[in-house]
Amino acid sequence: MRKAFLIAVPYLWLLLLFLVPFLIVLKISLSDIALAIPPYTPTLDVSAGWQGIREFFAALDFENYVFLTTDDLYWKAYLSSLQIAGVSTLITLAVGYPIAYAMARAAPEWRPTLLMLVILPFWTSFLIRVYSWMGILSSEGVLNQLLMGLGLISEPLQILSTNIAVYIGIVYTYLPFMILPIYAALEKMDESLLEAAEDLGCSRLSAFWLVTVPLSKSGIIAGCFLVFIPAIGEFVIPSLLGGSNTLMIGKVLWEEFFSNRDWPVASAVAIILLLILIVPIVLFQRNEQKAREAEG
Amino acid sequence: MSQTVFAPWNDPDETPLIRFKGVTKRFGGFTAIDDLTLDIYAREFFALLGPSGCGKTTLMRMLAGFENATEGTIELSGQNIAPIPPNKRAVNMMFQSYALFPHLSVWENIAFGLKRESTDKEAISARVEEMLRLTRLTKFAKRKPHQISGGQRQRVALARSLAKAPKLLLLDEPLGALDKKLREETQFELMDIQEKTGTTFVIVTHDQEEAMTVASRVAVMDEGRLVQVDTPDVIYEAPNSVYVADFIGDVNIIEGHATPEGERARIDWAEGQPPIWGTPRGAAGTGSGAGKVAFAIRPEKVAIAKEKPEGRRNLLEGQVIDIAYLGNSSTYHVKIADGRIFKAQTANTRRLVNRDITWEDRVWLSFTETAGVILEG
Amino acid sequence: MKRFSWFNATSLTLGFAFLYLPMIILVIYSFNESKLVTVWAGFSTKWYGELFRDQEFLDAAWVTLQVAVFSSTIATVLGTMAATVLVRAGRFAGRTLFSGMIYAPLVMPEVITGLSLLLLFIGIGLDRGIFTIVLAHTTFAMCYVSVVVSSRLTSFDQALEEAALDLGCTPFQAFRLVTLPIIAPAVISGWLLAFTLSLDDLVIASFTTGPSATTLPIKIFSAVRLGVSPEINALSTLMIGIVTIGVITASLISKRAAVAQARDERAAARTA
Repeated sequence: MRKAFLIAVPYLWLLLLFLVPFLIVLKISLSDIALAIPPYTPTLDVSAGWQGIREFFAALDFENYVFLTTDDLYWKAYLSSLQIAGVSTLITLAVGYPIAYAMARAAPEWRPTLLMLVILPFWTSFLIRVYSWMGILSSEGVLNQLLMGLGLISEPLQILSTNIAVYIGIVYTYLPFMILPIYAALEKMDESLLEAAEDLGCSRLSAFWLVTVPLSKSGIIAGCFLVFIPAIGEFVIPSLLGGSNTLMIGKVLWEEFFSNRDWPVASAVAIILLLILIVPIVLFQRNEQKAREAEG
Repeated sequence: MSQTVFAPWNDPDETPLIRFKGVTKRFGGFTAIDDLTLDIYAREFFALLGPSGCGKTTLMRMLAGFENATEGTIELSGQNIAPIPPNKRAVNMMFQSYALFPHLSVWENIAFGLKRESTDKEAISARVEEMLRLTRLTKFAKRKPHQISGGQRQRVALARSLAKAPKLLLLDEPLGALDKKLREETQFELMDIQEKTGTTFVIVTHDQEEAMTVASRVAVMDEGRLVQVDTPDVIYEAPNSVYVADFIGDVNIIEGHATPEGERARIDWAEGQPPIWGTPRGAAGTGSGAGKVAFAIRPEKVAIAKEKPEGRRNLLEGQVIDIAYLGNSSTYHVKIADGRIFKAQTANTRRLVNRDITWEDRVWLSFTETAGVILEG
Repeated sequence: MKRFSWFNATSLTLGFAFLYLPMIILVIYSFNESKLVTVWAGFSTKWYGELFRDQEFLDAAWVTLQVAVFSSTIATVLGTMAATVLVRAGRFAGRTLFSGMIYAPLVMPEVITGLSLLLLFIGIGLDRGIFTIVLAHTTFAMCYVSVVVSSRLTSFDQALEEAALDLGCTPFQAFRLVTLPIIAPAVISGWLLAFTLSLDDLVIASFTTGPSATTLPIKIFSAVRLGVSPEINALSTLMIGIVTIGVITASLISKRAAVAQARDERAAARTA
């Protein structure tokens, strides 16, 4: 009895505020376009019994999804989101790995402090961290002033409102997500393995490639997915740092909803975004599963 | 029968404290306890002994109330305990991990159970002090569990589970986390406390020496069944199966064919070798002493000599191939005629340098006709 | 230690410079006299004054604080319940769906969570405002709480609860007197996480709020869309300052506790 209560409360909460809303999105994405005036046809009339349910399903159609394929804005936005997320994930890995590696090799008494320094930005506002780059990257910003002051450039560089700024923003805000799993994998590694590899004739570099990298593989994969998955649906970074030609699906969805007020299309955009995300999420889960099995 | 010896299990008028009647426990498709029937009497120190996975812990958890029997009933003082939840049972348990509450002091840990049933602060306090004295923990009362040593933690766990004066105390591998020396001391302490409090103890252990030392009776378990339930000396001297003989202590086992001849039985065990003479278990057990049998003999009951001893029927000739020096005793590994290794143990009453038997020596092994047991093959 | 080469030292220096310089620059410029944020015109705290005179910011901060306190508290209760179910309840009908619903919001893009909740609130005709933001934040924050708490519960020795039952506790007493005090640090960090996520959230709040309630992130977002603003710099500095002090204090406390624990254990080993 007590157990039933314990299960029921969070279960019902999630059903009502997670699953039902999601089903509503699915339903609206299959409904007719009607500008911002709910309810959208068709409506499910349960009182009409089986007949009502049949009519409801018969009236649903894929019109909105067809519409998404006809306007190249959408599929370009999906592709561009994947590309931006993918490239920034690789850059984050390149930046994050050496940091994680150096942390794992630091003296043990320093590690908790270093770890805290990596986690600290995570507790500060995401929005503020993105915003902090606006003052640096703008044409009169700190970076341009510095470069011009050094005489490296004569004209200010246009970085803000370009995809480069978006890359910087993603790498910057998601860097801790890359560092932490890689650090966790490297920290567990027994340093005598490297000594053994060198004893067996490896150079330092080949010991790194043949021992360190494979052993941190699960951390690398986890870090990449932790950056890639949220980056695809990112909204704040492209809208603050990107320009008008930065296409990311989160931004498109937002505009479809708030500016065009076309809810059925926005819903269809959301459903397709979810379908795209399923693949990396499943791969991520599998990697986590494997890592857990390897540990225990 | 005189009552100077504590042996309620031999007294037909005694009613047991705990009765397992045809108890079976399954976890999904796995049978942890298989149709088990067992009586445990008040004031006993009862040991459940077996390898890990034999079902001994499950048996104990059913007594504590954390598992329910799939079939059969368990009675405590004649009452079926299945419908009683763990917090209402007059049974307490000392956990293998001790399960001391890390956020509470030693004093509060011991008082924890008392506070659940009473609000009388003075009575609780008096009982806690008594328990602290019993387990010699008075000066650690204010410490937290992580501030005391492993042996002290063990005693806190014991004090906590005894505080409510349960009818039955369950001890799950109580000494498993202690090192050997401390474990031996604590065994005697446990026996002492059991005697002082008069509580019935059921202990689960995989350590046969521990079971032999502390228990009034030992139940040897294997794959969810009881193999033998007896006093430690019977278990050791007259095991009822090869499994028990092998599990408890060191043993030489020879398979052969037995033929009864008068009070003795002749065991033919290898072509061209003289037979071994043994005594069937008869009165003590079930052995008929005929047919395919296993002859089991403890190494310390085998004598070893360089000269052929006179007047013994059980004689084996062989060559010493290994000597394990254990300090107080030495075990000789002797290769006998058919290539089999036979172990003989002798007390080292003389210093090592004076030892006359050494590697490669030809030796004679001998034992009396009542030294070994004949087990059903 | 011998492997800690100049290469590692450089990576750490550059890495932490990258992580911290933007925030440091932001803090420095919040004390800039000039309205033109890019030109340094001398030290001044006038933007902090402006900030505290701006009623809209103060209102938004108050809304945000209310939302964060309510949603993180409800989320902690629900999330702890959910974690207990995940770790302890064993098999029950719909378990897979349950754990799916716990983990899905963690990877769900915020735009989708926001959109779906808004459509629900419109569908059932709920007036949007603080209440709906609290509902929305609670829903995704409880999933984070349950992940944090369930990872603690997994390593929790279940014998402790059994010992409590054995000593006469009802299951609820066992939870209250034994489990909860022991997992309290995880529950507190779950609450802090939920609180921070709520303070921080722009997207979900934008979808689920109505005209009556503007949260601080919504206010900041609409201000900075037009460009860098010195008032926002001042506000950011305050927020960074609070978080930094909080995190450093927390880590000092936990470090001191760890040191004390290690010392106690050494002492216990000696007295053995």
